[in-house]
Amino acid sequence: MATTFGDASVAVDIKGLYAAYQRHPVLEDINLQFPAGKWTAIVGPNGAGKSTLFHVLTGSMKPLRGSVRAFGEPISAHRKAGHIAYMAQREAIEWDFPVSVWETVMGGRYGHMRHDPLWRRLLPSRWYAPRHAEAVREALKAVDMLGLAERPIGALSGGQKKRVLLARALAQQASILLLDEPLAGVDPPSERLILNVLAREREAGRTVIMVTHDMPGARRHVDHVVLINRFIRGVGTPNDMLSDAKLAELAVSSIEQSANDMKVAEATSYMAAQG
Amino acid sequence: MAELMVALGLFGDAVVSGLIAALMVIVNILPGSISDAFQYAFMQRALLTSVLVGAICGILSCYVVLKRWSLLGDAISHAVLPGVAIAYLLGWPFFIGAFITGALTSVGIGAIERHTRIKSDAAMGLMFTGAFALGIVIISKIASSTHLMHILFGNVLGVQQSALLLTLVASVIALLVVWLAYRPLLLYAFDPQQAQALGFNTSVIHYGLILLLTLTIVASLETVGIILVVAMLITPGATAHLLTDRFKTMMLISVSVGVSSAVIGLWLSVVLDVASGGTIVLVATSWFFVALLFSPKHGVLIRQWRRWRMS
Repeated sequence: MATTFGDASVAVDIKGLYAAYQRHPVLEDINLQFPAGKWTAIVGPNGAGKSTLFHVLTGSMKPLRGSVRAFGEPISAHRKAGHIAYMAQREAIEWDFPVSVWETVMGGRYGHMRHDPLWRRLLPSRWYAPRHAEAVREALKAVDMLGLAERPIGALSGGQKKRVLLARALAQQASILLLDEPLAGVDPPSERLILNVLAREREAGRTVIMVTHDMPGARRHVDHVVLINRFIRGVGTPNDMLSDAKLAELAVSSIEQSANDMKVAEATSYMAAQG
Repeated sequence: MAELMVALGLFGDAVVSGLIAALMVIVNILPGSISDAFQYAFMQRALLTSVLVGAICGILSCYVVLKRWSLLGDAISHAVLPGVAIAYLLGWPFFIGAFITGALTSVGIGAIERHTRIKSDAAMGLMFTGAFALGIVIISKIASSTHLMHILFGNVLGVQQSALLLTLVASVIALLVVWLAYRPLLLYAFDPQQAQALGFNTSVIHYGLILLLTLTIVASLETVGIILVVAMLITPGATAHLLTDRFKTMMLISVSVGVSSAVIGLWLSVVLDVASGGTIVLVATSWFFVALLFSPKHGVLIRQWRRWRMS
């Protein structure tokens, strides 16, 4: 396999990754490259390790083994620089937390604010730097939530909550967007809006990586699909990977796996070659 | 070095005198039947201590309530006891011992939680009861039961100048940290994974917040005592949570509830000649029930009214 460190066409490069919860393996032998400026969907059954993969990418979980690099550097450097935006699942957030929509989306700017001088940071964020407020306003406009900016987040509908979380990721103006099930449990108009926003982000040159169960949406929009179930089960175009036969195979893999920890032939990724 | 300490001590005394003078200006506006109780020096020290404790407990209370750390606060406050006892044995200032065992216990809880299959509530329960038992055993050997009672339930009327200075320093530190680290703390409380993704060092924030909590508990020891301090770390924040959907407003309300409970409770306890720690907590609890009934958004009455109008 060719080494691609420093290669600008690879946004995230995962090598030999193993991750486990309390010695129970969740991800094994993950070798995966996410091409830069493309939109990739990660598809797999529940408990396949998709969220764990994101936990590793966001740094909230340490892998047992393996390396994760972004644009040729350790990914932690990119996290510190605010290049990695993350959109959590709705269930991961305490919605009765006393913050407004505006303050929540401003949270996406907190990483950048660390690089502002200290005396500025002590001022309320609304005034101290117009560029942060501008980024928040743009993000809220993109998800059509500007009118609800002052609303407490607890008073939002399910689709609106998703859009606020998306706006927070957008406000960060990051180069890599990680989205954990951005389309789960949203109404059709919100789903259309979210898919359009993500398409625009890709056009702007950003790398979009999302976990999804929404096959029609993925078929229509994404450039690449990664099938995952503890191991990588396939990497390729939406047409190849989201065929009924492939998805059935993936479902069978999860049944086999839970029945008995079969050793499955290692799948190596060739995404970068295709990208 | 010694001169510096003396100078710092003098400076602290001056600040305390200034703050007491300022408080007395407010107290003297009140009718004589209330302000008379505060003409003694020990009452003035108790008043200032109560105001400070009410304020920092009010601030920390917001994080404790929103982060679901009520049981952790309870655990740390109990774990402080052996530290007080050991410091007494070694002739150290009690707050150093208290701080060490409080912090050690919280680190121990975290370690058990992370590296074994024991869940967090059991980890807390077993660590703090163990520490508390150790404290009881040591104290039963070396001190009188009145001494133990004062640690457990507070003795605000007997607050010495040194304890007051400690409370003042703890308050200043807590205020500064919450102001300087406002955004990381808010983000960590709201969404730790987002904080992590933005490259914040969440372990530092986590243990920083726990140290702040320990500091607050140690500073509140003499006022409400080990057992009741947890009430001051839950009730003001919970009351404020019922009244607002803004974090800054929540902090303001929480501090107001903490300070007013401490002052009113102190006064009531003197007038009625009852235990001050308990009275302070009861006033805070009363505030909570008032908010529970009458909160314009989340109150019981308004909900009933809405339900009645809907049907």
